[in-house]
Formats: sequence, structure tokens, C-alpha cells
Amino acid sequence: MLIADLYGEVLARATGRTARAQETASTSRSVWDGVYTEEQAKRGEELYRRECASCHGDTLVGGGGAAPLTGGAFLSNWNGLTVGDLFDRIRKTMPQGSLGKLTKQQDADILAYLLSFNKFPAGKTELQKQVEFLREIRFEATKPEAK
Amino acid sequence: MFQWNKKGLVRWCVMGSVLAALPMVAGAQWKAKDTEWASYGADLAGTRYRPLDQINAANFNDLEIAWRIKTDNFGNRPEYKLEGTPLMVNGVVYATAGSRRAAIALDAVTGELLWVHGEHEGARGGAAPRQLSGRGLAYWSDGKEERILYVTPGYQLICLDAKTGLRVATFGNKGAVDLKLNDDQEILPDLATGEIGIQSAPVVAKDTVIVGAAFREGMTPKSMRNNKGYVRGFDVRTGKRLWIFHTIPKQGEFGYDTWLNGSAEYTGNTGVWTQVTVDEELGLVYLPVESPTNDFYGGHRPGNNLFGESLVCVDLKTGQRKWHYQLVHHPLWDMDISSAPILADVTVDGKPVKAVAQPSKQGFLYVFDRVTGKPVWPFEEKQVEVGTVPGEWYSPTQPIPSKPPAYSRNGVSLDDLVDFTPEINARAKAIASKYHLGPVYTPPSESKIDGTLGTLTTGTASGGTNWPGGSYDPETHMVYAFACNACAEPIGLVRAPKEVSDMNYIAGTAGEEVKILRGPGENAGADSPMPAKKRAGSGYVALNVDGLPLLKPPYGTISAINLDKGEIVWQIAHGETPDVVRNYPALKGMNIPRTGQETYNTGTLVTKTLVIAGDGQITTTSEHPRGAMLRAYDKKSGKEVGAVYMPAPQSGSPMTYMVNGKQYIVVAVSGGAYSGEYIAYSLPSSE
Repeated sequence: MLIADLYGEVLARATGRTARAQETASTSRSVWDGVYTEEQAKRGEELYRRECASCHGDTLVGGGGAAPLTGGAFLSNWNGLTVGDLFDRIRKTMPQGSLGKLTKQQDADILAYLLSFNKFPAGKTELQKQVEFLREIRFEATKPEAK
Repeated sequence: MFQWNKKGLVRWCVMGSVLAALPMVAGAQWKAKDTEWASYGADLAGTRYRPLDQINAANFNDLEIAWRIKTDNFGNRPEYKLEGTPLMVNGVVYATAGSRRAAIALDAVTGELLWVHGEHEGARGGAAPRQLSGRGLAYWSDGKEERILYVTPGYQLICLDAKTGLRVATFGNKGAVDLKLNDDQEILPDLATGEIGIQSAPVVAKDTVIVGAAFREGMTPKSMRNNKGYVRGFDVRTGKRLWIFHTIPKQGEFGYDTWLNGSAEYTGNTGVWTQVTVDEELGLVYLPVESPTNDFYGGHRPGNNLFGESLVCVDLKTGQRKWHYQLVHHPLWDMDISSAPILADVTVDGKPVKAVAQPSKQGFLYVFDRVTGKPVWPFEEKQVEVGTVPGEWYSPTQPIPSKPPAYSRNGVSLDDLVDFTPEINARAKAIASKYHLGPVYTPPSESKIDGTLGTLTTGTASGGTNWPGGSYDPETHMVYAFACNACAEPIGLVRAPKEVSDMNYIAGTAGEEVKILRGPGENAGADSPMPAKKRAGSGYVALNVDGLPLLKPPYGTISAINLDKGEIVWQIAHGETPDVVRNYPALKGMNIPRTGQETYNTGTLVTKTLVIAGDGQITTTSEHPRGAMLRAYDKKSGKEVGAVYMPAPQSGSPMTYMVNGKQYIVVAVSGGAYSGEYIAYSLPSSE
């Protein structure tokens, strides 16, 4: 336990990101609860291929320094945060070079495609486009065990 | 350009008091102190070493955050790829920051912002191939004047007064040199959109500023023709160009004949996009050169292609070539020489040698006598596989160092595939069966649906040691280098439709739409979107097994390599075992040693007793909440002796300095949901 004594001090000084991650742990839905529809993911795929694939690749693996949007590093990067955090990152920075080109609805559709590609299950309701609502959906990398 | 207003000037007064309290070195021969970090790599030798020991194995865990600064507001949007290493001289920290690539000055004790300088470059900045905050800047002083130099995304060399952050009017054109001009070539198509830039920090040696060049990612260029990445030296006082080195020789120059069919005339890239190293005493500059146009297909540039992927030594005063060594003949693997050469005065077989050691993506540490260019331990020209891609020109041999041994994986065989369980191994083999496998320098192959999709490589584009480079301890003669040991890279080539590229082949996968790939730091808006197409018929397979890396751990390592003997002394896995491995259901209960992480952007710092480097990925463990750890290792043994929490992965290499009797470690963190931030750690004042 090289670090145990340190956490209280350092974490108290860390950003609210960790605090928010802890808060969101109590939200009721996660990416395993069917939070997008297949139709939405199809729309998102078209958009992804047009707006995102030139950097992140057709297969979402990234490359040349563009972050992967699938695989272990991607999942651990967002594990413990919320779908809203990922949505917010997309809204703030993408598409690089033509920021603001996409609507919130289009970004939500792309996000649905990312979830679909990463094998999170589809459901009956679409992902919403309000970041506040999306922050209510936990991003959990590992499927929770059935209760 | 923007500058501080009256409020800023008040702050500058605070800075003035800091400077007054510190001794200034007088006279023309200004020299940085051991407690300072005056160049990107700590010094011009690229050592990333400072002989400080206040922070040591006994107290590393006691570190706390002394100050921190988010870079969100140094630009019109946050940046999530902060790669800078700051400088610290005379109690002031200087860094590049934010999506504007602003230059900033901070009080080294408190982190208070002293000044900020940014350039609004409009369309020229927007079209730049290498955007965002870059890796850093350069400091120069003659003992009286102090200057800060950096290159903007739009490729202007800016010279600032280090005390005020204002442009030095007597340098270039009112403090700026337009690097797209006076480059022995016309930058095409025009000054605003012409593809050339750089993200690394300039270097100042004696009174010469040295600047290289970078381009877009080179896997899928639109054309075999591109601008060339020459290197230039400028007078730090006036901005006048002193010399230029043609990384692609002009007709009549040495090496021109290594470009057959006149291909030197139109081939581009071949820049020096990473850090340059200088031996001021010898008056020699060491240039690590990247790949020529098209990273993976060289059919339009037959020949060995000097000085592509060569280490070139030039004269500091004239830029004239002294010696060179091409590490990869006729480059086909994106083995850009990606990091600073490291200068090391060592003793080999009882004889002193002024050496230069070059870490590489392919996991070889190439060691030369830096005066003569002769390998310290012989390189053997070994036969390598000759490929079958139509029109390609292959070098039948490549140089392999006899010592030290490769410090990271640089080829893929079935034995390299993940084998935590027989079922996982079987799935990995099924994936690998879609690719051509082989040792280092197995050539790229044509991607075919009914054949293999390409060559599965590692130690290529993002393998081994990338831009952060290594560190060097001048006391023990050890190089320390992080390497990605499992960055699997499929290299498939597809015929390029004429509307996409005029090259015969570019990188791609059979069945996929052929398109121009871009990287971060490029302006995606500059190119028209490609029409969307379905992925029908694609033979793509993901290079992981349920997210588990395809190759065996260790995924990332730090190696300690003794340069007196050419031997690896220790090697450890660096980085927490990824969540996907620790949480994989079939692996529960298995005792898997720490795997390290498959990242390519981890840099090391060496102090009197420690090697320090942060995790490159986020993890969430029972020992720490989601975040990453900045780790300290005993530099003699590689044993981890401490770790401190970071809220995001290390994204820029750490540095250290001492001010007012206190040692600080500063590291850039960012990635995922966490925008860029510099964090300074120090020991609690009460202890």
C-alpha cells in the first residue's frame, strides 16, 4: 500500500471530476440497460463514417495519435464516468477543425453508434441529447453480474 | 497577438520581485544551473536528468500538489492532448499551453500566471498540420537578456522577452520569423494552407536556434508530392537564417543518387519533427529524421532515400553534414526517428567514447561515436524479407545493432500472442491468421479479402520509444527508456483510387472505403468529407480479444541500458495492469504480474536516485480511484519505491527543478474526459 496514506490529501485537492464520478455511482441506469436504439446507432454510424472515421478509423481503433474509441484503453478511460461526460467531450472538441458542425442530436446518434460498436446492448428508447440527462447514465466497462 | 492589460502588468511586478531575489548569471557565457531545467530535454544533450535528491525513495509517497494550472483558457476550446514539458529558469516556469499553443510564464513556487502570449493566425493556424499546444519552447540568455522562443501551429518562430512575454522587436519581423519563407523551396499551395509546421520545441545552442518541420500523418497522403522538411538554424539575436540542411538532397548534393528516377525532386516529408540534440563543445548538431512521403509505400521513391530515417550530424555553425547513418534503408514501416538523440560520455573496453545513443520505435538503441559516426558496437546488414507489393522497391538488408539487444518487441510471431488461457490464445491465433506475420522489417503487404489483410507488426508506427524519448544518467552511464512492447499495428496496403491519391498504394484494409486518414492536430475541416459507404464485404477483425491486447504482456516497459557495456541491466513493466485485464471474468483468481500499458507517449525523468514516469492510461483499482499514478523507481534496481495519484494519464514528460531549497516535479496530464493540466508536486513544507 504505497499510496493509501496519500489519497485523502491528494484527492481532496483533485478536481471535481472524481467527486462527480463518485456521485454518479448512485445513478440508476448504466450503459448495460439498453440506453439507445438500433435505429439511432445506424444513423450514428453514417455520421461517424462521414465525420469521425478519417481520424478514428472505420474500426474505431484510432491511430496516428487519435484516441481509440473501442478496446480496453477506451473502456477504462470512461469507466466510472457517465455517458454525459463522453458526450460533453465530443461536444467540446469534435469534429476537430470544424467544431460546432454537428448538432446535439447528431452527436447523440454518434454516441449511440459508439455504444453499439462496443457491444453495449440496444434498447427501446433513444439516447437523449441533453447532457444533463446523459449524466444520469453510468459508463461501466464491465457488465454487472445478474442479481 | 494578445498581451496582458494593466492587471497583467501588476502581476508582472510580482514576477519582478521573484527575479530580484534570485542570483542572475552575468556575462556572455550564461549556463543553466543543475537546479534548473533550461531546455526541453533538461539540457542540450537530451538527458532528462537533474542531480536532485530532495524527493527520493523515502518520501516520494509524501508528495503533494504544490500548484496546478488548467490550460482550458489558453485557446478557444479545451485541449485534451497536453504534451508539453515546461522549462524552469531563475524561478520562472515557461511552457506552451492550450489549443492556442500560448506561451505562458508561471511563478515556479506558486504557479501564479505571470504572463501569457498567443498568436491568432486565422486560416493559416486553422490549416496547420500540427495544432494544439505542442511540446514546449526554448530559453536563451546571454546573462543579461532572456528570451523565449517557440513555433506557432502556423509555423512562425516567435521570440519573446522572457520577462514580459512581449515580442522582441529586433528579432525577425517584429519578433517573428515566417518559417514558410526562405526555406529553399516554395511551400505549396500557398502560405496559408501550405502543409508544413512543427509541434516540438525549438533548440537554442550558443546563439543558434534550430527548427525542423512536421507534416500530416503520412499513411495516406493525397499525393507522392509534398513539401520537404528541411532543418534550419537562425541567429537568436536577429532571426536571420544562418544555415539550412536539406533532408532530401538537392541535385548535386550528397545522397541525391539514393533517390532513383528523380524522385528526390517531388518526394516530400522527411522532416525532423522531434527534438534536436546539440553538443555545444564539439559544435555538432544531431538530427533525427523521419520517413519520406508515404509511411508504408515507397514505390514512387525507389532507392535507399537518404536522409530518411537517418541520424544526421551537422555542424552547429554551418549546417554542413559531418556524418550520417541510415537506420532504416528505404523506409516502409513509419520508423521515424522519433525522439531526441542522447549524448553520453561513456567508457567502452576501457576507452572513453563520446557517444550518441538513439532510442527507436523498433526497440533498438543505436549507439555511435558522436564524433565519427561509427557504431560503438558493430551493426550487421542482415537480409530481410522482400515483399510483393506491385511497384515497390525493397532494400534487401537492414542494419541490426549487435549491442545492446532490442529492448522491446519488434516483430510478431504466434508465440507473441496473448495466452492467458487456451481459449484466449485460440481466439488470438484466429485473429492473427488474417495477417502476414514476421520478425522486424517484415514488409507491408497488400490487403486482400481472400488473402491476408496486411502485415501484423509491432515496433512500427506507435511501437517502442516514441516522441518522449529516453533519459540518461551521466553518473552511471545508463539510458532509461519507456517502450510500448505490444502496440500491434496492422499495415495493409490498398490501391488508391485516383480521386483519393495519386499514389499507387496507400494504407488501408480490403473491403473498407479507401480514404485519407488524419491524426490529431490536423485540421479536419480543411478536407471535404468523404462520402459515407457501408462496410459491406470488409474483412476487418479487431486486434484484441474482448478488449484484451492481442500480444502478450508486458505491454509497456522501462528498460535500463548500460552504455559502457551495451547491456540491459533491468527491465520492468511500467503502468498499472489495465482494467480490461484485471476485470476479465476468465482471469479472475489468476496471478497475473503487473502488465504495464500499451501506450506510446510515456516519457521518463531521472534524478540522483530515481527514475520517474507516470501511467499512460486510466485505471480504477482497489488501491486508487479512477486515475493514473506517477511512479518512482530505484534507478539502480528498477524496484518501485513510490507512487502518487494523478487525475489523468501522464501526457507530457515530467521535469524537475529546485527553487528556494525546494524540489518540484511538474508533469502534464490529460486525456479522455480530463482536459490539459500542468501539476507541480513537492514535499509538504512542514517536513
